Amino acid sequence: MIDLISNVLMSIVVLSPFLLLASIGIPAIVGYPLQERSVARGVQIAVCTGLAAACGVVLLMLITGSRLEVLELGQWVALPSETFHFHIKFVFDRLSVPFCILSFVLVGTIGAFAHRYLHREQGYRRFFLFFAIFLLGMVIASLAGTIETLFVGWELVGLSSALLVAYFQTRLNPVRNGFRVWSVYRVSDAAFLLAAVALHHLHGEGDFSGLMGSTPWPQEAAVLPGNQAFLVGLLLLVAAAGKSALIPFSGWLPRAMEGPTPSSAVFYGALSVHLGAFLLLRVSPILEASWLLSACVVMLGLGSALFAAITASVQTDVKSGLAYASLTQVGLITAEIGLGFRYLALIHIIGHACLRTLQLLRAPTLLQDYRALENAIGERLPAGRAVTPVATEPTRQWLYRMALQRGDWDARLDRWIVQPFLRFFVRMSQLEDRWLRRLDGTTPPASAEQAAGEPTAAPVHVTS
Amino acid sequence: MLGSIQLHGLTPRIAVAGIFTTGSVETWRASAHATYRDTTLIQATAAPTAVPGDEVRSQLWRDIEHAAHLLPTQGPISVFVHHNTLHAFEEQPFEKAVLDGFRVFSSEPYWSEERFREELAANRITRDDLVAVLLDDLGDDADQLVGFMGTRFQLRLAMLEQPLGIGTAAELHWLLSETSALEQVSTYTPAHVRHRLIEQTRQWVARENQAGRQQNRAGETLLPEFDQLFPGQQTESWTDEQWESAALHLLWRICMKLVRSAPSPALPIVTPRRHRDLLLKATGQDSDALVHEILIRITSAYLDQGYASWSLPARSHGLWYAFCELFADARPAERWLQGLPEELRRLRAARIDGLASIAESLSVLGVSDVERHDYIVESLLALRGWGGMIWQMETNAEWTPLPAPQGSLVDYLAIQLLLERFALTDVWNAAIAQGMLLPPALPVRSLLPVAGQPSPAAHMIDFREALRNHLSAANALSDEQRAYPLFQLAQVRGWSPLELEQLNIHEWSRLIGEVEAFPDLERRRIFQLAYERHYRERALGAISAHQATVALATQATVTPSFQVITCIDDREESLRRHLEELEPACQTFGAAGFFGVAMYYRGVSEAHFRPLCPVVIKPQHYVIEEVAYSLSASSRYRREAMRMFGQASHGWHVASRSLWAGALTSLVGSFASVPMIARILFPRLTARWRHRFGSLLRPPPVTGLTLTRIADPPAAEDDHLGYSIGEMSQIVERLLRDIGLTDQFAPIVLLLGHGSSSLNNPHESAYNCGACSGGRGGPNARAFARMANREDVRQMLHDRGLVIPPHTIFIGGYHNTCDEDVVYFDLDRLPRPTRQGFERMRAIIDQARAVNAHERCRRFESAPLWQTNEEALEHVEARAEDLSQARPEYNHATNAMCIVGRRSRTRGLFLDRRAFLASYDPTQDTEGSPILTRILQAVVPVCAGISLEYYFSTVDINGYGCGSKLPHNIVSLLGVMEGAASDLRTGLSQQMTEIHEPMRLLFLLETTPQKFDAILARNPPINQLVSRRWVQIAVLDPDSETVRHLVDGQWRVVPKLTDLPQVAASSDWYQGQRGHLGFASVGPWFTGKGPRREVA
Repeated sequence: MIDLISNVLMSIVVLSPFLLLASIGIPAIVGYPLQERSVARGVQIAVCTGLAAACGVVLLMLITGSRLEVLELGQWVALPSETFHFHIKFVFDRLSVPFCILSFVLVGTIGAFAHRYLHREQGYRRFFLFFAIFLLGMVIASLAGTIETLFVGWELVGLSSALLVAYFQTRLNPVRNGFRVWSVYRVSDAAFLLAAVALHHLHGEGDFSGLMGSTPWPQEAAVLPGNQAFLVGLLLLVAAAGKSALIPFSGWLPRAMEGPTPSSAVFYGALSVHLGAFLLLRVSPILEASWLLSACVVMLGLGSALFAAITASVQTDVKSGLAYASLTQVGLITAEIGLGFRYLALIHIIGHACLRTLQLLRAPTLLQDYRALENAIGERLPAGRAVTPVATEPTRQWLYRMALQRGDWDARLDRWIVQPFLRFFVRMSQLEDRWLRRLDGTTPPASAEQAAGEPTAAPVHVTS
Repeated sequence: MLGSIQLHGLTPRIAVAGIFTTGSVETWRASAHATYRDTTLIQATAAPTAVPGDEVRSQLWRDIEHAAHLLPTQGPISVFVHHNTLHAFEEQPFEKAVLDGFRVFSSEPYWSEERFREELAANRITRDDLVAVLLDDLGDDADQLVGFMGTRFQLRLAMLEQPLGIGTAAELHWLLSETSALEQVSTYTPAHVRHRLIEQTRQWVARENQAGRQQNRAGETLLPEFDQLFPGQQTESWTDEQWESAALHLLWRICMKLVRSAPSPALPIVTPRRHRDLLLKATGQDSDALVHEILIRITSAYLDQGYASWSLPARSHGLWYAFCELFADARPAERWLQGLPEELRRLRAARIDGLASIAESLSVLGVSDVERHDYIVESLLALRGWGGMIWQMETNAEWTPLPAPQGSLVDYLAIQLLLERFALTDVWNAAIAQGMLLPPALPVRSLLPVAGQPSPAAHMIDFREALRNHLSAANALSDEQRAYPLFQLAQVRGWSPLELEQLNIHEWSRLIGEVEAFPDLERRRIFQLAYERHYRERALGAISAHQATVALATQATVTPSFQVITCIDDREESLRRHLEELEPACQTFGAAGFFGVAMYYRGVSEAHFRPLCPVVIKPQHYVIEEVAYSLSASSRYRREAMRMFGQASHGWHVASRSLWAGALTSLVGSFASVPMIARILFPRLTARWRHRFGSLLRPPPVTGLTLTRIADPPAAEDDHLGYSIGEMSQIVERLLRDIGLTDQFAPIVLLLGHGSSSLNNPHESAYNCGACSGGRGGPNARAFARMANREDVRQMLHDRGLVIPPHTIFIGGYHNTCDEDVVYFDLDRLPRPTRQGFERMRAIIDQARAVNAHERCRRFESAPLWQTNEEALEHVEARAEDLSQARPEYNHATNAMCIVGRRSRTRGLFLDRRAFLASYDPTQDTEGSPILTRILQAVVPVCAGISLEYYFSTVDINGYGCGSKLPHNIVSLLGVMEGAASDLRTGLSQQMTEIHEPMRLLFLLETTPQKFDAILARNPPINQLVSRRWVQIAVLDPDSETVRHLVDGQWRVVPKLTDLPQVAASSDWYQGQRGHLGFASVGPWFTGKGPRREVA
């Protein structure tokens, strides 16, 4: 009986965001877009139902004393000989349930906020469509019991994030920055996918329970040997770094502030930026299996935190300031995970998400807040003390420039990774062309430049 | 001589900047000479008119200063003052100025034709308006015949009524191939015209077929593809629809053919001056994207007023110095910046300052002296918000925590041009590498002067020339674009293919010429005039007709029960109307909301003085609010608690962004979720709890103003605060005489200052009182009441013939136009006999607040149309406290008129919150109209400023306005950007202007044309606004119902409205309506019920 109730409740948790997406998406596709009010009501119902069901699951787990409940949807594709599975499974444990509840609470609150904030906006329905995709992604990712399920949620979150950064699609900058976010996410997705494939290959399946032993989170122990854990873990670390904007991927975080305020708040202040940390928490037994990997995680976390703290202190606009402040904490959380403080990291994530959401939501009130503070103190606000661990003047100058230029991470990635990569592929394509032509017996192309890119405009003679 | 005077402005800054050992001109000249000789730039400069020295330097400085006047004049956003967005062009006529704005800022002069046609469909413009305006505009030319097509007037009217579907060549291509443009006649075509079109085509085809498909006289058959139109069908079996399509194809071919034969019109070819614009057009690559990323960062760091906890090093030495220092030893990761540090080191070693660097950059870029000014303008306008803010912080912001040093704009431009040289080089080389541009004959690796190499300047001249030639070819209109309007017109006006075909080349050119002589911008100008005419005729006609109602109302004069003086603000119109409806025995007046009390004011819980008076006035007096003396001990205690609380929350605020403290704050951050969720889901309730908690810390509510000055002169210190008795009586007398309140005083005279409170709204200050420089007018009302209640002041007034009866008490109050709250000050001083009257008044005002909220709610789409007054009041209260509310109120949106005259002339007229109402009694004014003059001196510029700012922000929300509020991001505590990095956005947001009707403000003054003309002659500033048509003027005769409108110096009598609706109460008129409402006479003696739309 209890099993049945529990299964029903768990299904509701997963189904409610799915139905929300369907109820907003399908009318839009068939050409009968919903009224603002109906959309808002839909979000309200879906979030409340999902939240109530998730709380119900927690209650049941408390009553029965269970620490792990599983909702099994079975293998959708299974090619055992190729060690390929697509296995959908949701787990409710001490990690997934708090994260899932957090997602529901924040998404619900922001949904109520956005309903009024985006009132009369042309893209109102578009916003809520992406928002529903995001909620679905968050719920799937937080409850995922296999790495492939997690990947589905991960992708949905990434897709909706990039689309919401480019929400103001008629302006150039949002689209460009949305594209940038999307590209970084693709890199991180590629790493994730490689990790998933590697796991299947090494272990025969992507199920976390099989992978980490059957004891519930966080007491699992990894069954992978150290060097394999290091390989898989490193890939997952790259994936997490991309998603959580850790160095060297930090450049996209302030760029993501192009969307409307509520989406910035929920994505980059609260949920999506923590998804990388969540992934590391989920696979934390792998970290334990390799001390080298843990060391990498700690270093990356601390490095990001330090970088972001210094950068945050020179930002002059409120949203970038908060973005780097977020990153500071995400870096610390990552370091905590690396050090093995899992509960601390979880509490840190939840607390930080709530705090930052509030701060970002009321970012436009900054001027009034500052005036109120000045009035309370009775004088101009005291100038803050900068993070200046080193005192010498050239170093300070260097630090300030680094912070002002936001570490130049984007430029570095472009210059040292993207461009060589592109050049390499262009070269390869030319080579292929040449070989094909030689095999065909036709003449090689006139010049290398023309093969490299289609000229978009007729060439102009600059000087005669 | 002039040069050295100009230069003086710069020298102090140069001296401050440590690297420049001396600011003297000689030293600079010597070093500049050295630089120029070394780099052989002088020979390469296009036209070196003068050796760079004093003259060049000062000329450059003059150009920059002149260009700076074109930048937006909006200062720090916390003190928002409405002003004419095109202030720089105010000396020109409105129609010319908007075109200049279009040319310089690329911002729209009027709404689009499409938008105007929506208004046409919604009857906000009627055909009659178009006809009247067009006839006026054409004058004698209206009847000129244009061939067989009718008169010029008819042609133009058709062009206005019918969408001509003009777009880019690509849009047109789509229109022709994907829509039914060639299948079905336009929806505007009358049925008989369609029929004729089809019939004639049928005959044509029959004749052609009969003639055995002979080639027509142009030697080209017009029907080659008729067989392919409907394959497999003989023309005999075509249906009507098929014939329609055939007719349109034929018509289109003829239009195309004739356009090809007619000469192309001489189009003004717009060739940008900046290399970046040319390069962008030619290659699609934007060098500004690179430049701006760095420029925005360094500028916002430089201007930051204290958000960043680590401020820009060497900020006080100026922007140029700080930039050079910061980047001189950088190792940039970006490819395009590789040469920058080296160049900066060279500049630093050669002691080249900002201005000299600009000269160098312009020279390298090949900018000739002739185009220098325009080049600087275009460069500064590339990031006009930031440029404007630097200029404001440099010239007009001494009150801010960190004003910018003088010369900052020069430094900014120097950095911009320097970076631009690097960015251009990069984009250019990339374009060459990709084969988009062919490489120049001489290799130019960078735009840097390199010793021993030919200067790039010559290349840059050729480069721009080549790009320009390349672009001008693509600039002309395509044949399709020219033919399409004709094609559309032919369908509406019924020009058949046959008729068009028979025109000779001369007639044909004439027709095209006629059509092309009435282009898009001209049509929009006519639409704008018609739009304004529609409102003006209704408004003036309604006021004229309303005088009959006025006569009804004033038959029985009684002593007023109370009098209320509010600001002239358009938002107070409805409050006053409801007060008068609820209490017919009361009177209301309107005066500029600082009530003549110009002061620096500091409230009891405020940290700084702020000016509370119009921006044009510089206050001399200081007033502070103090806690009652007996409570000062307890106040000190609270003050201390408040300070500690403030410091703690500031500490928390800063800590949450830092590393370790941030970790601590976020570990307990889950607690933040409780207030967050509460505030978002239950804003009004949460606000109440917050206020309750806050009152523990707030100073005791018993306070007083330090109004009486003890020692001269007025200053911010103890005994020097306040006014002398003589000054007080002057203030009181002036206001009362201005509004004409000199006898028949009621027992209570209430003054209501106003302001507006909202959350999550960087533009909050724009919603406050314009007459208080974006502050809240409560203290002014309070101060005035205190002055007017003084025995000694009244005695002085008595001596000057202004008798205020002893039983009359003045009360100051504050009206929050967002949540409709009204606060009264100094009630403890109310004499016992007045209390009863006060309670009665308070009850009426409370009712009026609720009804006012109710009327306002009709404009909010998120408020239900049908709700009780109390629900409406709760709704507006929640709006003010709602973090997620992007439209706390609509501010001045929909303002359209300003009435200066006796309230009795407009009392009971429903003005829909669209009119500024200033009280003025012409019967009390003396020879030469001194009272009217001083009212107009204040009211005309202020109201015109508000109206014009709304106008421009509405017609181009992205060019003149600041776009949507939703992605706004506060930067440097000075303004808003969009997203993480953009230009600083100035003007009003889409959410503020979405219901506005952009039209020039219509002034209606109760005076005679002669008196007004006399005032104009003596007041050039007002005259400029009037004669250059930035405002519209009409006068209401003080003794009759005649209203005259000023057209081109002539006074034209406006016909009285014959169909002015009459209703019993305002609510009968507006109930259930969302849109703009027409005028109506409101009075209990009318029986009209139920809402009716304006009769078009």
